[in-house]
Amino acid sequence: MKPFAPLAALAALAALPLLGVPDYHLRLIAEVLIYGVAVMSLDLLIGFGGLVSLGHAAFFGVGAYAAALFATHVSAEILLVVPVAVLSAMAAALVMGALVVRSANLFLLILTLLLSQMVWEVVFRWRAVTGGADGFRGIPELALTLPGGHLALGGPVALYALAALLAVAATVLARSFIEAPAGRALIGTREQPLRMTALGYSVPRIRLTAFVVSAAIAGAAGALYPFVNQYVGPQVAHWTTSASLFIMLVLGGVATLYGGYVGAAIYLGFQTYISSYTERWQLVIGLLFVATVLFVPGGLGRSLKSLAASFRPQGSGAAVAGAEKRRVP
Amino acid sequence: MEYVVIQSINALVFAVILLMSGLGLTVVMSLMNFINLAHGSLVLLGSYVAVFWLAIGAPWYLAFPAAFLSGAVAGAVLDRFPFRLFYARTHLMQVLLTFGLSVVFADLMRWGFGAGVATPRLPDVLRGVVFILDTPFPVYRLFVLGAGALLALGLWYLFDRTIWGAVVRACVVDRGAVESLGINTQHVFTLVLALACGLGALSGALGSGIMAAYPGLDEEVLILAFIVVVVGGLGSFSGLALSSLVLGFAMTFSKMIDPEFSNLMSLGAAAAILIVRPNGLVAPVTRQV
Repeated sequence: MKPFAPLAALAALAALPLLGVPDYHLRLIAEVLIYGVAVMSLDLLIGFGGLVSLGHAAFFGVGAYAAALFATHVSAEILLVVPVAVLSAMAAALVMGALVVRSANLFLLILTLLLSQMVWEVVFRWRAVTGGADGFRGIPELALTLPGGHLALGGPVALYALAALLAVAATVLARSFIEAPAGRALIGTREQPLRMTALGYSVPRIRLTAFVVSAAIAGAAGALYPFVNQYVGPQVAHWTTSASLFIMLVLGGVATLYGGYVGAAIYLGFQTYISSYTERWQLVIGLLFVATVLFVPGGLGRSLKSLAASFRPQGSGAAVAGAEKRRVP
Repeated sequence: MEYVVIQSINALVFAVILLMSGLGLTVVMSLMNFINLAHGSLVLLGSYVAVFWLAIGAPWYLAFPAAFLSGAVAGAVLDRFPFRLFYARTHLMQVLLTFGLSVVFADLMRWGFGAGVATPRLPDVLRGVVFILDTPFPVYRLFVLGAGALLALGLWYLFDRTIWGAVVRACVVDRGAVESLGINTQHVFTLVLALACGLGALSGALGSGIMAAYPGLDEEVLILAFIVVVVGGLGSFSGLALSSLVLGFAMTFSKMIDPEFSNLMSLGAAAAILIVRPNGLVAPVTRQV
């Protein structure tokens, strides 16, 4: 990718609060960024690893609950809250990943679904700790302790800035994972698992690594979620959330990373704006999804990108789009 | 002792419901190599058709054929567009397409049939109880048990023992060879899909007397059916029957042990089976190249 696009995205992220965007929209954009990060981490598994998981909400949910509980009972210091959430999600991924790496295709799909629903059951039933079906309210504001004093991070602008920071860090991390030997090996296991084994790679170990890295990113996204929403309920760990992440991924474009943000923006935008006009927003999302699968199987993010590339001279952008097309599963 | 017997019969009834909802899925999966996540929608459609049929006072025994027909017609239409475009594509694309359709259908049905719970008005014949070991047991459950077992047997006979079943199975192995015998395989696939969708709707109609019909049931049924089919090993009748029995008993008896954590236990049981046997209970023999 040319350095132009990421720089433009960074500039736009930084400029938004300065342009006087209303708080309500800042909150929505923060939510888009958080979901986008979660979808991007799912893309590592589905797009680059070929591991179609329907249990990603478990990692997101574990991160969200770990952050909310830690902030309420121990400390709302952001430099502690986020690592706690990330480590919890990674621990969940170690267990879940170790159990599922031997499975493939539909078996993997159902096994991840089963295991993540078990996480949901625990969250839903363990009322004393998680609040059960009612969820968890009264989460304190995040704070940052500086040498000079105490910085509260509860306002919409601060939360937006945190989400933007998270998105940038997560994207850099995910991209460098894909570029690193471990990520290349992951793509190899997606394309030719048997040949990778013959070359001496341990396919289960590579897949487990992918699960842990992906869960770390999803857990970080989950960590911010309760603070932006000021509420966390068992729904975040339910399989329907996994399904929504999946829908966002396909809408945005599988195996692109940036597609996660496009998909999250489309999905949440539709949910927010269309639901104020009609109750039938799920119908609209469903039809959009079916139309995407039928007519733009590469995802809307990818077609936006090739549209932008077609305006650029020399056709270097088209070459990039062509190279990425091979990754469409 | 009586309690265990009664619960065992309940577990059998539940296993039959699982079996029936899994049948349609497994038929398209094993015979057409197609994954239909819109199956849950057809089950719910069948439930609604049965509920409304019984509500208008038409002969009750026709409610089930009516549900079957509605599902079969829906299946035949879906086969034309868009399923036919996806028969030769990857599982992932099929999953995406049919999952999207299930979201659309769920909202359409919420729109058309309302968001409330619709319970069928069962005929008097099916309403009472019988006494098993001096414990009252609903007749309707026994009716479902018998109907489901008959259905599964009939289907097995159709696919395994008749020439028609042989044609369908041959289509899976080598479509070209079947075409060269002068058989239109596209019609065969349409028929199989219509049959599978009809079966889904029929199972929904039979289940409606126990579970009623409400928005969201489609998802619940789909997930359960999918778990049963996958745990059974994807697309073998014996595997499906075995996994329905195992999960039916696991779910019923885990409720007996501890209602609070019954779901956790039965999910754990299903997960454990898939962890120990990553290809399901009865794995079809395949050669990996």
